[in-house]
Amino acid sequence: MQRELSSFPIQPSLMSKLTKAGFTTVEDLTDLKPLQLSQELSISNEEALDLLNLVRGEHPSKLKLKQTTSFTAFDMLQNEESQQCIVTFSEQLDNMLGGGLPVCKITEFCGAPGAGKTQISIQLSVDVQIPTCFGGLQGEAVYIDTEGSFVAARAADIAKATVEHCSNIAQAENNEEQLKSMEAFTWESVLAGIHYYRCNDYLQLLATVHLLPEFLTQHPKVKLIVVDSIAFHFRHDFDDFSLRTRILNGMAQSFIKLATQLNLAVMLTNQMTTRVNADGGSHLTPALGESWGHASTIRVILYWRDRQRYARLYKSPSKQDMTVPFQVTLGGIRDVKTSEDQSHNMQGASTSQHKPQSNYEQNTNEHNTKNAQYQTASSSEPYHTGGTERAYGSGQDRKRSRIDS
Amino acid sequence: MNNLDVHPRTISSLKKARITDLTSLLSRSAPDIERATHLSLSDVKAVQREAALAVTRRPLTNALDMYNNVCPQEMRRHTLSLGCKILDGTLQGGFQSQGITEIAGESASGKTQLCMQLCLTVQLPTSQGGLEGGAAYICTEDVFPNKRLVQMIQHFGRTTASKINFGDNIFIEHTSDMDSLWYCLKTRVPALLNRFNIKLIVIDSVAALFRYEYSLNQTFERSKKLSLFGAYLHNLSCKHNIPVVCINQVTENMNGYTTNGAIKKTLPALGLTWSNLVTTRIVLSRTPHTLTVGHSDNSGDCIEKYETPVRAMEIIFDSHLPNNVCHYVIDQEGVKGIS
Repeated sequence: MQRELSSFPIQPSLMSKLTKAGFTTVEDLTDLKPLQLSQELSISNEEALDLLNLVRGEHPSKLKLKQTTSFTAFDMLQNEESQQCIVTFSEQLDNMLGGGLPVCKITEFCGAPGAGKTQISIQLSVDVQIPTCFGGLQGEAVYIDTEGSFVAARAADIAKATVEHCSNIAQAENNEEQLKSMEAFTWESVLAGIHYYRCNDYLQLLATVHLLPEFLTQHPKVKLIVVDSIAFHFRHDFDDFSLRTRILNGMAQSFIKLATQLNLAVMLTNQMTTRVNADGGSHLTPALGESWGHASTIRVILYWRDRQRYARLYKSPSKQDMTVPFQVTLGGIRDVKTSEDQSHNMQGASTSQHKPQSNYEQNTNEHNTKNAQYQTASSSEPYHTGGTERAYGSGQDRKRSRIDS
Repeated sequence: MNNLDVHPRTISSLKKARITDLTSLLSRSAPDIERATHLSLSDVKAVQREAALAVTRRPLTNALDMYNNVCPQEMRRHTLSLGCKILDGTLQGGFQSQGITEIAGESASGKTQLCMQLCLTVQLPTSQGGLEGGAAYICTEDVFPNKRLVQMIQHFGRTTASKINFGDNIFIEHTSDMDSLWYCLKTRVPALLNRFNIKLIVIDSVAALFRYEYSLNQTFERSKKLSLFGAYLHNLSCKHNIPVVCINQVTENMNGYTTNGAIKKTLPALGLTWSNLVTTRIVLSRTPHTLTVGHSDNSGDCIEKYETPVRAMEIIFDSHLPNNVCHYVIDQEGVKGIS
């Protein structure tokens, strides 16, 4: 620590004594005991103690050493097992992620426009608020919107479906605790639990992230931070790519710090970009470059193929790569059930015009509460948004798509 | 930076270290600034906090307040009616006041007609689905069809029984190259927004200039300019809380499939860079069917009947609308949905 002592608010008389004795930087004082210092400078013991406290109190490495405690891998395992996940309402998607969106980690969802990034973001902001007696986290969510794509009416649709679903479970199970918690768990309360920030440029995003720790201490219930999308403001206005990398790394650091210290989940969405291969062909890849790939712990890529949405686990420390289909219904993210359902959906997508939306069927009797969350049969009305130029190919059959003119 | 509520000594030592604006103050890490300025870590953290507060003046809100429209003014969402109940129904009220709405379609699918109708509906009072303001219409492709506008105004004035002089609130700009479009957006449009009560910006079309001015091996320059352009439009939309509508051309679909699996011959132009910037994408097309509509004289009496093609409006993606198709026809009065 090379900081000069003259930059501390020290009395001039004391300062001159320090200089005379040859103490100029913080490093010179760190290993001294108060008694030694008082003898050296011929000052009182209290004065020396105050001086050392002042200097050391602002010594970051000392502070951090005191805070850091080490864990064994066994402790970590137990810790991790006790930690909950935020369910997505699609059982297959949850299985792929290992039970849902994990807390203490950064999860990134990448996809072309219309792949379902915003839908998953809104779904998770609602799901994080499910009461604990239903196996939820009973938390709140911070939603940082950079693209202006958050529509409260859409969040209300998903919240209503989720609340209705939980209330159906509570009634079917006739569980008193659950019925009681339903009184406080309404779609209005769910919407009120989504704290919304709108960021117009990267500076605002940066400032918002700076202020998050303060906001989170005031709102300890927050269990999920969503940034939709992280890429938007970083894809223009940047001539200096090293600055961009530095800012992005800094932000990733702040997120991982928040996630681990406050035990919350961070979910980022990212856009896709075209990368030209050496052979002249091209494929789609997540935006923001190679170094950003290290920022998230889990990375999922969303894409369309054959009139069906898919999610592919691209990076995960604990799960193998896999691909699962999902759909977006009026009530939010759901599993794709049977082939019969699928053909129905295809019809619905091509000819859907004011089709009546069926309520979610309930079939909870044979399952326990936690599993019962998935027993809503998918709604008949598919919520197909999406469709851009290219599908994201995977593995060997990656489609060589052209740069369109 | 001088307006920050911190000790002047801190500011001066920041300036000595050549940290003179909020961007560099916020984008550098605290230990980095500490090293450069010899300030204490707590001082640096305090000044960064003040800077962050100064940047995020926007108040925080929650989704319930947004749903009930009691959130701060600039975050309230309005919808702009298309002037037809069936089309509005498909779009759940009309075009959103936040973000870029893209209308893509082959030539003669009715893109310009739809946008001209928006220029009229935007002037209606909010009770009728308008935004009570004028429109700025930027033409890059063709000469603005004035005659057609006059015809639409006549019918529109009659059907809505409104006393507004519709022609007075539509400002038309012609730009024929990138530089003049950029100049128009950077200086003329903000001036219009300040002087007149402009509530809608239409660009007809984005594709023309971007496709014409850049050659195939300039894709990098093109996407850079396109991102800047899109981000600027987003800012305008967000700052003034007005819808920005961009007309786009279509391009031949080389792969023969689209990402949601449908087989389509054409795709909106300008590629993925532009798609990433669009909030709502709508594609117009012509169908092989026709419908007989009446042609009336000035008093509203039907004088002859003729056949017009039925066209389709499809929502390709949006954060809150399902992928729906709606059919419409264009007659003398304007764009009308049919069920």
